[in-house]
Amino acid sequence: MSLNLRPLLSALRRNPTGALLVTLQVSITLAVLVNAAWVVHQRIMRIEQPTGINTRDTFVLQISGSSNQFNAAAAESEDLAYLRGLPGIVSATVSDGVPLTGDGGNTGVWIEPGQQGQVTLTSELGMDQDGLKTLGVRLIAGRNFRADEIQPYVPGKQAPASEAIVTESLAHALFPHGNALGKTIYSSEPRTIIGISRDFMGPQLGQPTERTIIYPRLPGQGGYYDLLVRTQPGKRDALLRLARKHIAAAHRYGVVVDARTFAQNNRRRDSGNRNVAILLALVTALMLAVCCLGIFGLTTFNVGSRTRQIGTHRALGARRRDVVSRFLVENALILTAGAVLGSVLALLIGNWLTLHYAVPRLNMAYLAAGIVTLVAVGELAAWQPARRAARIAPSVATRTV
Amino acid sequence: MLGYYLRLAVKSLRRTPGLTALMVGAIACGIAACIVTLTVHHAMGRNPIWWKNNVLYAVTMDSWDPRRPYDPDRPTVAPSQLTYLDATYLYGSDIPQRKTLLAFVQGALAGAPGQSAPVWAMTRITTAGFFHMFDVPFEYGGPWSAAADQGPQPVIVLSHRENQRLYDGRNSVGRTILWNHLRFRIVGVLAHWDPRPRFYDLTGGGSGDFGGSARAFVPFRWGSMLHLFPIGSMSCWVAPGAPPLQTYRDLLASNCVWITMWVELPTAARRERFLDFVNAYWAQQHAAGRFQRPRNNHLWKVSQWLRLHRIVSNSSRLLLRIAFAFLAVCLINTVGILLAKFLRAAPLAGVRRALGARRGEIFAQHLVEVAVLALSGAILGLLLGIAGLAGVRALYAHSYSAYGKVAHFDLIGIAWALALAGVSTLLAGLYPAWRVGRTSPARYLKSQ
Repeated sequence: MSLNLRPLLSALRRNPTGALLVTLQVSITLAVLVNAAWVVHQRIMRIEQPTGINTRDTFVLQISGSSNQFNAAAAESEDLAYLRGLPGIVSATVSDGVPLTGDGGNTGVWIEPGQQGQVTLTSELGMDQDGLKTLGVRLIAGRNFRADEIQPYVPGKQAPASEAIVTESLAHALFPHGNALGKTIYSSEPRTIIGISRDFMGPQLGQPTERTIIYPRLPGQGGYYDLLVRTQPGKRDALLRLARKHIAAAHRYGVVVDARTFAQNNRRRDSGNRNVAILLALVTALMLAVCCLGIFGLTTFNVGSRTRQIGTHRALGARRRDVVSRFLVENALILTAGAVLGSVLALLIGNWLTLHYAVPRLNMAYLAAGIVTLVAVGELAAWQPARRAARIAPSVATRTV
Repeated sequence: MLGYYLRLAVKSLRRTPGLTALMVGAIACGIAACIVTLTVHHAMGRNPIWWKNNVLYAVTMDSWDPRRPYDPDRPTVAPSQLTYLDATYLYGSDIPQRKTLLAFVQGALAGAPGQSAPVWAMTRITTAGFFHMFDVPFEYGGPWSAAADQGPQPVIVLSHRENQRLYDGRNSVGRTILWNHLRFRIVGVLAHWDPRPRFYDLTGGGSGDFGGSARAFVPFRWGSMLHLFPIGSMSCWVAPGAPPLQTYRDLLASNCVWITMWVELPTAARRERFLDFVNAYWAQQHAAGRFQRPRNNHLWKVSQWLRLHRIVSNSSRLLLRIAFAFLAVCLINTVGILLAKFLRAAPLAGVRRALGARRGEIFAQHLVEVAVLALSGAILGLLLGIAGLAGVRALYAHSYSAYGKVAHFDLIGIAWALALAGVSTLLAGLYPAWRVGRTSPARYLKSQ
């Protein structure tokens, strides 16, 4: 098949406006498509980041005193005894924060006394010896807290815990050369690292989420504590309702502020990213569709306005295939121009996103994939009208319209 | 003449139903995307108390750790809340016309008729100034008096929702209710009031800024009377060697910031005087060993306060820009299709020209056709946009993100979007209409 570009180019030159408009559309669409796909990819990466927690069989009850006559220490041990006695419950603990929700404290940790040197910021969580088991987090080194190490809540006089368990990420941030186990770290008090756990997302939602320090300490300050519960598979919702009802009636001066499954909390945590990803994908898909319709429209128009020309071409010996490929090549020229302009635009936008929105630098594979997609879809859009053009009979050329 | 053009336009649009549907559909999609993103963006960025923008000021002082800034990403920005020591001292000034302090504490409400168990009600401890400064509307009763702030007297203001829940929306002013097991007299019930963003208290991250307001309000001093720890945002730093915070007394003397302070300063002179007062306090405390960071006392207007807290999310900005790019593609698409369509029908225009129509008239006739398209696209886009807003609300129903919470039908946002639709589509139609208006009759008559 011999392709002579000259007649194509002269056709484009005679009526450049339509082609120019499609070029513009293609370039804007490509630029947005590539960058939107890149941003969506970043968001999905954040969604798929594992929580490190059993979010299937767990729930949380948040309890608050409604008076300063509320005895938090007594109430929490009552609640724990009740929960641990319920059939179907694997493990229960009491904590001063709830992973995945933003509800909880953070603190600075130093490796030298007197808050000297570099500080590492981390989520903190006070729990008892059943905390890790309840969350479904495994220890990878050292040991868990012993029952006698847990500091009970004594209003105004709670003794500081002298042990700590840290997550793998925090251990690595504090001691990049390893050997965190057994070391002393300093926040308000000196503490010994007795265990290192696998990474999990702590209460604080800022980055990096998986740095958490756990103290053997019971909550109660301000009359506030959280009950974290893990059930046997399938029994979560029934036990959540049961426990909520019981505990709401159990304390004269305490109320259940909130009762939620970890799954609900986790959905809330990542829904921002997921929804932005959905909205971006939706708008980009619509944009691609509109762009294709534009290509379809232009090719249809060209076929319509060149009916006689095509007829003549066919009468002079062009095969149907030649007619189809003529339109496809013409379209490909437009798409190429759009791709070149669009690539420049995509890079500019990508650069700007990196500067202003802290989006990582655009991956060139995305640009390449975007070009391939757009050219393929664009050619597909032109194919149907091109085939219709091929059906024009040579005799049309000899007839007057 | 316009009626005739309209008839011609409808006729022409019906001649090519596929193309017409395509154009109207594309314009409508672009408009709908813009309506959704513009509405949300507008709602996020707006100032809910713009009429008092120049008299209300949030007060900040940098009381943070001398060795590191409060926010490592923005080292020059002070914490947005104050310590108890500083807030209560500054509140003592009589330079501001009005002033108020804000914090959240836990609250349990009980004792309403027919109520079995206490209900948990997030309670704002504040001062009477709060209601006056922020033009808070009341359904029944009103704010408590200045004397009630001093006492503090056991008076309480209920939110509209809480009054609905406990008293079926009836006038409960004068009734007694148990707040944290103590007898409080209801002095006021708010009308529905839920400014978004919650400009007066932007702590609490993405959820708090656009979240609901408190369910009950009591005088600020009840917090310290009853030793109620704040349950809103609180940030602390501990100096080396300082004992850990345990009792309520520790909290009051601590470095913890947990109180938001607003002052009303109607003139620039008063503003200067109040800033001087804050600076003098800073200098005195600095000399005594506190405030070891660089002096960073600031009075923020509401608009500055909203900007400081970066209320408009980056995602919102990103989506808005993409929606505009999308609209641009839709419009370019429309220009292309219109051009093709008009030029194909150019012989008709040629005949009309030959019969005496002037160029301007051909142009006007085609522009009317564009206007019909623009209007249909805008109306369909409006409907799609309203559906889209409902979709966004559903998508964000269980999210911490504020995006869905403000996705409500907003006349100003929609008026903007519709104006945009009309103007941009007409602009898009200008060139094709002009092109076809320029056709010389002879050329087309020849080929007939």
